[in-house]
Amino acid sequence: MLPELLQGIDAAGFLIIQDSASYSGRHLLKSFINAALSREESVHVLGFEVSEEELRDGLKGSPTQRFHFHNAFTDPLGWTDHPAFTVSGFNLEELTHLVKQPSHPKPATLVIDSLSWILRHVSPSAVCKTLQQLKKGGAVRAIIGLLHADMHQRGTVGSVCHMATSVITVAPGLKGDEAVAKITKRSKSGKVMQDEEVFSIKEDLTVIVQSKASNVGSKQPDPEEQETDPTANLTFNLRLSDTEREAKEKLALPFVFSKEKKTALLHSGPGSGRILYEPDANDDYDQEDPDDDLDV
Amino acid sequence: MYTELNSILSTTPDSFTRGEFILVSDRRSDASFLIHHFLSFYLRARCKVCFLGLVQSFSHYSAVSQRLGVSLAQAKEKGQLIFLEGLKESLSVLIPQEANRGSHAMDFLRDPTVGLRRLYEFVRSSVRSSGGEEEGTEEWGPPVLLVDDLSVLLSLGVSAGAVLDFSHYCRATVCSQLQGNMVMLVRCVGEEEEDDGDDEGSERLLKGLSHQCSLTLHVQGLPTGYCRDIHGQVEVCWRRRQAARVVGEIDKFTSHSFTFDWLLVAGVNDPVWNPDCVEEEHSAPAS
Repeated sequence: MLPELLQGIDAAGFLIIQDSASYSGRHLLKSFINAALSREESVHVLGFEVSEEELRDGLKGSPTQRFHFHNAFTDPLGWTDHPAFTVSGFNLEELTHLVKQPSHPKPATLVIDSLSWILRHVSPSAVCKTLQQLKKGGAVRAIIGLLHADMHQRGTVGSVCHMATSVITVAPGLKGDEAVAKITKRSKSGKVMQDEEVFSIKEDLTVIVQSKASNVGSKQPDPEEQETDPTANLTFNLRLSDTEREAKEKLALPFVFSKEKKTALLHSGPGSGRILYEPDANDDYDQEDPDDDLDV
Repeated sequence: MYTELNSILSTTPDSFTRGEFILVSDRRSDASFLIHHFLSFYLRARCKVCFLGLVQSFSHYSAVSQRLGVSLAQAKEKGQLIFLEGLKESLSVLIPQEANRGSHAMDFLRDPTVGLRRLYEFVRSSVRSSGGEEEGTEEWGPPVLLVDDLSVLLSLGVSAGAVLDFSHYCRATVCSQLQGNMVMLVRCVGEEEEDDGDDEGSERLLKGLSHQCSLTLHVQGLPTGYCRDIHGQVEVCWRRRQAARVVGEIDKFTSHSFTFDWLLVAGVNDPVWNPDCVEEEHSAPAS
């Protein structure tokens, strides 16, 4: 599913890449940026966590017209005199203004690096509100965000991911350069698809999916398909021949309530006492209606 | 400066990667010996060093550096070392006297909620100050910021978020803009656990800094328990950032066991870890 996501996010889509301190999701993010640029889309990046050089490193060619980096790295809180983009600018009006471009007809893709930085300074509800407005507004075509799941409380992570149409959680894989991605994709019809894949990213930021990981994270030994036969290699015989097997199955066990026993008990044979019963009014005592006068 | 550690990190005072943020952390152990190592390393590499010594006095660091072959007093005189003595500065904040105003770096002691902007401004002015004001001053190499340590800021009332902002700004100025290096020490107490409800804490600070840094050195006791000869282990993790190499991978190149010798410094009562590498066991890198 990872290649399909790389090929294109649907319009009004919101993709979140969740990572942790043990594996950085930034390079998968760069692969997504690369893929978007090669599809002739324009990409706007809100860079809080890494500098422009570091983010541009490895991106294909020099598509300067379509790649716009908004520098929120050098001064995100306005501590110097001329900040470029501060965290207080994360609202619908400013972002729409930022992303608007008269030259390009198609709306751009907005990449946020990272959402964790914004969540540290802006309340989660405000962030969710802005993201929802961006999604619905039409100013941007799609949003891709990087989120460090281990830096926030689970509730915060959950709320933000709830807004997303696709969530990719990356974790280190078993081998050196491999990683595991758990993908959840919600389509417009409401159907949710989940998948787990092992992938690696090459130097030119192409993603290679190695395999569909069925059991991830556990170092399982080779499954033993053949069960060992316990009756082999014994000094005595535990096997049954066919006649013996038949006789065994025919045997009626003494304390099992079989059909024959049931009929024998229910229909008593000749010679045993018969019970004749005539319905008596006194036997018809209803605990909940002792006077028998309720109209139920 | 410990040559074995240099060979593990593949650095020498003559050639080291620039723009690196090295995070030194420890858990129930004492990693300050690594700070002394990096201090003497960068002084030997003729870098301009800004040292925020928040937990110990200048004479303490001076004494330890003497044993490692570097004179802090001389470096300070030559202008190579700018030393913020946190303990002394905090006295001038807490007991204000008319005569000395002091720098505003420790102003967060008055009101921790204000954050560490003043401290960052102190760092910025220190690393940016050019040595060419007077005649005959030497040209120093790239700037280096050393902080010992960040966790004490948490216990002084500064929030983990403010410390993360401070380290972000320092990284933007020192590592990114000036292509210098940064070494910060964080100390964790207790076991590593899911810090779900606790927003402010050393765990959150450690996680946030791990995301920002490019190299971590984590010191902890031996997992098998106390041993007389070997006092702990150091875990070295590279978070590779260059696109030329394999990206996003953490290379765990771990378990170097260092012994620590107790060293009592005259005038200071706490013992100082002084490792002599006796035994070194390491596994081959993953890639």
